[in-house]
Amino acid sequence: MSQLTYANIDQTILNSLTPPKKGYWAVIVILFIGVLIGALCWTYQIFVGIGVGGQNNPVAWGTYLINFVFWVGIAHSGTLISAILHLFRAGWRNPIARAAETMTVFAVCIAGLFPFIHLGRVWQVYYMIPMPNQRLLWPNFLSPLMFDVIAISTYLTVSSLFWYTGLLPDLAAVRDRSTGNRQKIFKVLSLGWTGAHEQWRHYTRGYLFFAALATPLVISVHSVVSWDFALGIVPGWHTTIFAPYFVAGAIHSGLAMVLTLMIPLRKIFNYKDIITMDVLENVAKTIVFTGLIVGFAYATEYFIAWYSHNIVEMESFRWRAVGDYRVGFYIMVLCNTLIPLLFLFKKIRRTIVLLFGISLLVNLGMWFERFVIIVGGVARGFSPHAWGLYAPTLIEYGIMLGSFCLFFFLFVLFVKHLPSISMTEMKETLEKGASHGV
Amino acid sequence: MAFKRYIMGLFKDEDQVVSAIKELKTSSYKFIRVNMPFPSHKIMEVLNLKKSKVGWFTLGGGIFGLLAGFALAIYTATEWSLMVSGKPIVAYVPFVVVSFEATILCAVFGNILGLITQTRLPSYKGLKYYDPRCSGQYFGILATCATEQEDELKDFMQRQGGEVRIFDSME
Repeated sequence: MSQLTYANIDQTILNSLTPPKKGYWAVIVILFIGVLIGALCWTYQIFVGIGVGGQNNPVAWGTYLINFVFWVGIAHSGTLISAILHLFRAGWRNPIARAAETMTVFAVCIAGLFPFIHLGRVWQVYYMIPMPNQRLLWPNFLSPLMFDVIAISTYLTVSSLFWYTGLLPDLAAVRDRSTGNRQKIFKVLSLGWTGAHEQWRHYTRGYLFFAALATPLVISVHSVVSWDFALGIVPGWHTTIFAPYFVAGAIHSGLAMVLTLMIPLRKIFNYKDIITMDVLENVAKTIVFTGLIVGFAYATEYFIAWYSHNIVEMESFRWRAVGDYRVGFYIMVLCNTLIPLLFLFKKIRRTIVLLFGISLLVNLGMWFERFVIIVGGVARGFSPHAWGLYAPTLIEYGIMLGSFCLFFFLFVLFVKHLPSISMTEMKETLEKGASHGV
Repeated sequence: MAFKRYIMGLFKDEDQVVSAIKELKTSSYKFIRVNMPFPSHKIMEVLNLKKSKVGWFTLGGGIFGLLAGFALAIYTATEWSLMVSGKPIVAYVPFVVVSFEATILCAVFGNILGLITQTRLPSYKGLKYYDPRCSGQYFGILATCATEQEDELKDFMQRQGGEVRIFDSME
């Protein structure tokens, strides 16, 4: 970090906002086509009916809910990095905090789409809003599904406001270095920010409270998501370990997605002096930690199934390892707990290709974890006559493709139009120097 | 004394800013503000600022949210008293979840309200006596003096190691 100065921090980050080349627009077009495929599949489902998906009786929850949990999970590390690590004064989070927060906002938006998609008759979504229907009936707040509505909408609101508040001084910096229409737009967006000491006095305090509020929120949100399952008496779901297990898993997948996004970003925008190897290495170390928690949760589930002497639980977990979805189970164990252990070796942690490859594998593993839990639970319930299997249909794959393309589409648009690294926080890190541990 | 001239000293070094502020405060010139690209701890310390009141707004929002969350869950449950799964109509334990989320949401709204009212944003008035370099690598100390003191204040800023920018009168 010693070669960095205030001037070259500005220069490097503002250079990322120069007019894009043709390659950029080609990527945008490809991703947009993916988004269109997803939108067309959803439109088809709305007109034909929810039956175009693979959901059946007993497996009523399929990829729509898997993707919902997956994207909420991805969102979590953004808040971990921006809020929790901010409270811990971990300076290494500064170069990646902005991009991770942005990832959070986009991932929550996409996660929020899936309950709408899963609903089938999407126009009846207002049943979930706390307002009385035509028969003056209100939603039932005893239901974990209603907890979810409140938690996810709160998370989206809070993470968006947190993101915008953090962005404010940088919007002013872009305003001050642009001309014409861009300057006009950024003048409005930066709300007249001047960095006066009085503004900073309130801003730093407000930002601290934001972080302090986002921290319990992020833990509560994925706990609430886990209760969607844990409050049902389905074998494999009905367990108190779900809340911490889901929170750790969410952060695990989110950190992997941070690496997946940061490594190309670092290369494309020449951020090597800002997003240093040390930063990526710290993310990798955190992945080892979250991977161990996730692995511990997997082992605990098996232990408790055996220790409980509950034959339904025991059968459920035996089937998980040797039944129809065993491949998914092996992928999840391998990619989420064993492969991340490779990060224990310094050489692997500091090799970009391996960091990137392992981050993709963790993402894959975390998707399969949700598949194994959600589908595996309901497919093999209490009554053998009600057992059944599930496989996603092409429509579901189309919607899933659309969701991934939408996420990357929004992120690619973001990196070229807004500062993808916080200039303010980088300067602050520079001021504190070595004491911040970067 | 009528203050007429607005002069900004632009510094790259925080220590120079700290020393300039200290001397400015004991001089006959009026210190107005310092614009910073980031919240410099050294500078904030020398300014000896009071603690922000934003936290009271956050606390107020949080307390409101806590009560509103419970009130919403209890009201909706009692509007149609249907017992579900043998749980009480007013089941406090599950309502804690609703209330918790409402607490966070309203505390954040309170925080935003606090920030808006305390920083007085959005407002574009501050941009009148502002140098765009202050969001980059410079710290800008804005001070004002009588017209006849203009050269003295200019010299003062230069002596402290800053570049000088003179703004037109506020009138």
